[in-house]
Amino acid sequence: MTQRPDSPLKKRFSFAGIALIILAGGGWFVTRLPSSPFDGAAPQATPDLIARGEYVARQADCVACHSLEDGAPFAGGLEMGTPLGSIFATNITPDPQTGIGTYTLADFDRALRHGVTPDRRRLYPAMPYPSYEKMSDDDISALYAFFMNDVTPVQQAAAQSDIPWPLNIRWPLALWNVVFTTGQTYQTDPDQSEQWNRGAYLVEGAGHCGSCHTPRGMAMNEQGLDSSDPDFLSGALLDGWFAPSLRGDGAAGIGRWSEDDLFAFLSQGRNDHAVVFGSMTEAFNNSLQFMTDDDLRAISVYLKSLPGQGPGWQAQPATVTSLVEAAQSGLPGAETYMANCAACHGRDGLGQNEWIPALAGATSSQGTEPASQINVTLNGSGRVVADGMPDSYRMPPYRDRLNDTQIAEVLQFVRSSWGNTGTPVDTDAVADLRMRTDPASVAPIVLQMR
Amino acid sequence: MQLNINGQTHEVDADADTPLLWVLRDNLGMTGTKFGCGLAQCGACSVLVDGQVTRSCVTTVDMLEGTEITTIEAIEQDDVGARVVEKWVEHQVPQCGYCQSGQVMAATALLKEVAQPTEEDVRAAMINLCRCGTYNYIKAAIDDLSGRKGEPL
Ligand code: FES
Ligand code: FES
Repeated sequence: MTQRPDSPLKKRFSFAGIALIILAGGGWFVTRLPSSPFDGAAPQATPDLIARGEYVARQADCVACHSLEDGAPFAGGLEMGTPLGSIFATNITPDPQTGIGTYTLADFDRALRHGVTPDRRRLYPAMPYPSYEKMSDDDISALYAFFMNDVTPVQQAAAQSDIPWPLNIRWPLALWNVVFTTGQTYQTDPDQSEQWNRGAYLVEGAGHCGSCHTPRGMAMNEQGLDSSDPDFLSGALLDGWFAPSLRGDGAAGIGRWSEDDLFAFLSQGRNDHAVVFGSMTEAFNNSLQFMTDDDLRAISVYLKSLPGQGPGWQAQPATVTSLVEAAQSGLPGAETYMANCAACHGRDGLGQNEWIPALAGATSSQGTEPASQINVTLNGSGRVVADGMPDSYRMPPYRDRLNDTQIAEVLQFVRSSWGNTGTPVDTDAVADLRMRTDPASVAPIVLQMR
Repeated sequence: MQLNINGQTHEVDADADTPLLWVLRDNLGMTGTKFGCGLAQCGACSVLVDGQVTRSCVTTVDMLEGTEITTIEAIEQDDVGARVVEKWVEHQVPQCGYCQSGQVMAATALLKEVAQPTEEDVRAAMINLCRCGTYNYIKAAIDDLSGRKGEPL
């Protein structure tokens, strides 16, 4: 028997040594503070910078999650659902105890663009840092100047998340970031115009449009964070609403919309094709309408450049145009439509100019996901406030007037009339959304995103 | 903008999204058309637009240029409308009357579409609400207009 050069014991020790080094390195990696270009930098706070920061806060719509409807601005509190349990949006007023009062500019930057708090905890990507990481250094320091100098500090501790151990361990998110974020600010595309690049910067960055409009993968990652990816902004189901494709898709996207249509939608909340509804109402009320015309133009130009797929909507004449015809037609849902919907949306489904949306050709009338139509029929639409003026016409809730079968049938009628190509609506899907959008039910929707 | 109401052209100064009902009642002082819910749910505000029953509380005036609008004030100038009003009186349909200008509009539109509506047609078309519950009288009057002698009420 010959002697082996290394005894098994020694081998085991060297394996352990390597494992230890990897562990130590990994441990350092997942708990480290990433570097920030602002490390050691002195923050500025000129009136111009603060004003710019306020504008950036509008672009990023911080208030959407970090405020409650009746609460102080930016004091946090919104409950947000994740697949693991609920988390609560934090207080981002400059209160030193419960807010971000002690954050340096570099700390602020790390939270915003890397999802890391000063005490080295990782944020859940409910905070859209995979988008915010594209924001420029200048916008970050402006935003910091605004929050530190122009937001009233509020003492209000954030509620604790109810995610149980060990799922609440956050360091694995450092690895998630390695896979699912680029770690880069927005990179100008030299082949595109300055206006296009500005639009891309706003949509992919602060605007974080993809948080709702891009489908998510197994790890809740957005499948595509920029224009190079065909999944980017291709539409996604979230919180009982289907955020439609913002790409040039024929029927299901905004292929039919002109750049001017898009600009009108973003600046006024309405155009001849659609009126904001569902979760988009808040995005319009709190964020979009405050953007400059130049920025909204840039966003329109950029979105119109995203290629889509599928044939466009082909208008077909109405086959039923009165209550009597509807009753005689025997078509399920036709009578319900004429009695309940036609007064506003038109006997021909064409709506009323930009005031009341057409259902003929509407994005929500196509495709395989009827959640938005079910939801808005059950619960109505929110108040659209443009330039301080609430809108005159709003979709009333029908949850107490129509039962699940009636809603399924009327939507089926809408989705198969006037050239629409939407799939039929299942009564069970209506029943399910009815239950989940009732706050008193056993399983109400906890918003994942706002 | 110009609106053709009851055969007359009216110059109207209103925002594009103003509901026709407001223009009728507030701008033009034509208060025969009633405000009930303002949400297209009751039918009290019904008028005829090109002969079709239309809820004026949710119809924006910019949709109406070039159309012919008929309100309760002029319904008796229409042959069908005059017959409806006559039978409405004969059957003493109204109680408080608030919903009735809308009911007359709905009945007139129905009879213009189908001269002799079946009971099924009547049930489908007469969907305006009546707080006083005059539905049986409405049905009796329309049955009469359709050549059916219903039970006298
Ligand atoms: S007031 Fe127009 S339908 Fe009720
Ligand atoms: S008669 Fe009174 S509401 Fe109809």
